[in-house]
Amino acid sequence: MKRNERRKRHEQRVQEVHVEHSEPKQTHHSESKSIYYREYKKLLIIPMLMLIIALVLIGAKLATTGDFINKGISLKGGTSVTALGENLDSKIIETQLKSEYSSTEINVRTLENSGHQVGVLIESDILPEDNQTSNSFIESIQKVTGIQRDNLSIETIGQTLGDAFFKQTLVAILIAFIFMGIVVYLYFRTAVPSAAVILAAFSDIVVTVAILNILGLKVGTAGIAALLMLIGYSVDTDIVLSTRVLKRKEGTVYQRVIGAMKTGLTMNITTLGAVVIGLFIAESAVLQEIMLIVLIGLLVDLVNTWIQNAGILRWYMEKKGEI
Amino acid sequence: MGKFKEIFTNKRIIILIIFLVLSVILIGPSISEGVAIRSVDKNSQATQALPHAITSPDPSLKPMNREVIQSVNGVPVKTIEEYYAQINMLTENQTITIKTSKANYFLTTKIGNLTEAQDIGINVYPRPSNNIQKGLDLEGGTRVLLQPQEEASQDDLELTVANIKQRLNVFGLSDITVRITNDLFGNNYISVEIPGVNEQEVKQLLAQQGKFEAKIGNETVFKGGNKDILYVCRTAECSGITPGSCGVTSAGEYSCGFRFSISLSQEAAQKQASVTKDLAVVPSGFGQSYLSENLTLHLDDEQVDELRIGADLKGNPVTDISISGSGAGANQKEATSAALQSMKQLQTILVTGSLPVKLEIVKTDTISPALGEGFIQNAVLVGLLSILVVIIIVSARYREWRISIPMSITMLSEVIIVLGFAALIGWRMDMAAIAAIIIAIGSGVDDQIVIADETLGKKKKDVEDDSWKQKLARAFFIVMASYFTLVVAMVPLWFAGAGLLKGFALTTIAGVTIGVFVTRPAYAAILEILVENKH
Repeated sequence: MKRNERRKRHEQRVQEVHVEHSEPKQTHHSESKSIYYREYKKLLIIPMLMLIIALVLIGAKLATTGDFINKGISLKGGTSVTALGENLDSKIIETQLKSEYSSTEINVRTLENSGHQVGVLIESDILPEDNQTSNSFIESIQKVTGIQRDNLSIETIGQTLGDAFFKQTLVAILIAFIFMGIVVYLYFRTAVPSAAVILAAFSDIVVTVAILNILGLKVGTAGIAALLMLIGYSVDTDIVLSTRVLKRKEGTVYQRVIGAMKTGLTMNITTLGAVVIGLFIAESAVLQEIMLIVLIGLLVDLVNTWIQNAGILRWYMEKKGEI
Repeated sequence: MGKFKEIFTNKRIIILIIFLVLSVILIGPSISEGVAIRSVDKNSQATQALPHAITSPDPSLKPMNREVIQSVNGVPVKTIEEYYAQINMLTENQTITIKTSKANYFLTTKIGNLTEAQDIGINVYPRPSNNIQKGLDLEGGTRVLLQPQEEASQDDLELTVANIKQRLNVFGLSDITVRITNDLFGNNYISVEIPGVNEQEVKQLLAQQGKFEAKIGNETVFKGGNKDILYVCRTAECSGITPGSCGVTSAGEYSCGFRFSISLSQEAAQKQASVTKDLAVVPSGFGQSYLSENLTLHLDDEQVDELRIGADLKGNPVTDISISGSGAGANQKEATSAALQSMKQLQTILVTGSLPVKLEIVKTDTISPALGEGFIQNAVLVGLLSILVVIIIVSARYREWRISIPMSITMLSEVIIVLGFAALIGWRMDMAAIAAIIIAIGSGVDDQIVIADETLGKKKKDVEDDSWKQKLARAFFIVMASYFTLVVAMVPLWFAGAGLLKGFALTTIAGVTIGVFVTRPAYAAILEILVENKH
């Protein structure tokens, strides 16, 4: 495969500019050996298992905690304080605050820019409705960090609003999902391929949420926005794949899949590149949350598009008598 | 050379260039120097300036059109520090000149409330270097989200918004945005944004319904608002700390009293006279006589102060009344400022009256300007590096400048046009909107890869090659599908979460729409000219 590629690339430069999206016939020999070519039905087990495990994990979390994700304070209410300073010690701040407010959940983490500390982010579920605790909490932070109140960035969100946000974002995801399904169906007008695209997007979100839970990460409103974006992003490559397989006539179905994969993987790699940069360099917690969720989601989507969706499409085409 | 001519005469490319030029004009980038006026305090000396008062800017004014202070007393000021260095040198009763981008002002300083010379009342911030308005999380400031505690009609809400605006104006803040937002479930909220200010006390002012009542016994004599109260004194002559009122309380705290005078309407004065005329006169130990009932002041049904009524006021319809109260603190300075703060709030409420609905604060954000500043630089860095990485990946994949250079140009064009659009409609770019721009560019690159791969695919010997038009149609079939799915995924977000995620949804939709209708067609045209015509 590799040698073939290199030779082709050489030819390309000698001849003229073009980008091949269907593999030439010569590769057929190596193709027939690859698991991806022969065992695509068995490979479908991987994404299916992934989805089932994710659903079980999320179900278990829902049963034990009553929530299917770790809600960030923007979705459950609480107080978040950002203090800028290179020398603030998040460990010391956390221990001191925890000893003072033992009955509440307090989390302190450092904000970094390219490995260099710029400040700390203190999050707690102390609700603004509890005016007294809320005020004394801010005062305690002032004492521990030595930073004036005016230089602290304080965000508070009430419990009712947090709950309302959470419910609404669920509705938003649901509506987005239905809309997306309608668009996809109107585009392809065939049940199985449309269902495959929708399943891939569903699986992306579910598996991503399960991974976020395993990593113990909290999801706020920004995270929900990122999950919604994931719908848009994951569908992109699925559409490239489905269009190539269903609407093109040249080459075998497998060749069309490989051609789509070349385009699709380039798309995925550029997005991953940008997201990784964002993740490492971004200081803002909002930006980091979005980037991390998109990163996980895109990795999950690689499996769901190129193994699951591609497998289902090939199976479907095989049934229709096209190979 | 013929190709260049072809490129610059292509319809799609000309459209792109027009959009780019318009965007740059709208953003209006410039080298930023100097300080701009953010707001002017009410009743400050700045409002007494000649030839006319220095006023707070209209919030709808584009950032680049804000009034810029060029010099104070002939000394040029380029930074906030330089401005305050000049202002802090001022002494009492000094006539100064302030040269701004609009006029030359003359004004006289005044004796301060405390011992220092009073500030002339102009609040400044660094002059904006372009017309893109920064969101609260980037500029710093205070945002408060209020929710009505009872069913409120649209009229009530609009009245409340107007009242809150007035309150904040009276309080001395003008660069504010107060608006009604709602969510997917039809709940209404009132969102108040005050950029650049980190003021805790504003929160209390907003949440208070501000139902002010003065009672004698159980009888209400007058209420807050301009029906009963014609005038509230807020100048140093008739308002401030009561001389000699500061002292240590039994609890070991310092306490200071404030007082200010108000003028009642004739009607309210008559009401007072009719209530007091039946009261008994009670002599007090210090040779003064008072009426048997006190005048009690209630704010939102809680008594805030109690005043004794002099015997000479019995049955007398006086219109001038002195309102008093107090503030406490750990030392005299704190107590003084607490008292002045309470005074300012009470004055504001007396002027503006009560809100038609009871509100509860459901969310507050106060972001320090220092945090926002770092975020902007960081976000720009993230954006530029992401674009760079994408260019490297694309160059490595295609090994062909005729594909990767137009792609890079397209990406940058999309950023510029989205920002131009933001400047045009004056929406504030926040962190989520920046994330949305990065996403829109990402999906733009995806589309360009699709266009490149679809149109430049290797010709098959056994299949007749499609025309460029057909290939392009195939590419745009995919591009439009991904466009529609992304847009429909963003629409619900527009309405969810009390408008807080609107910026994200709006920016994403704007970004991909511009991409699909302006930049990507132009990209396809460039590809066609550079690559396809060679065949």
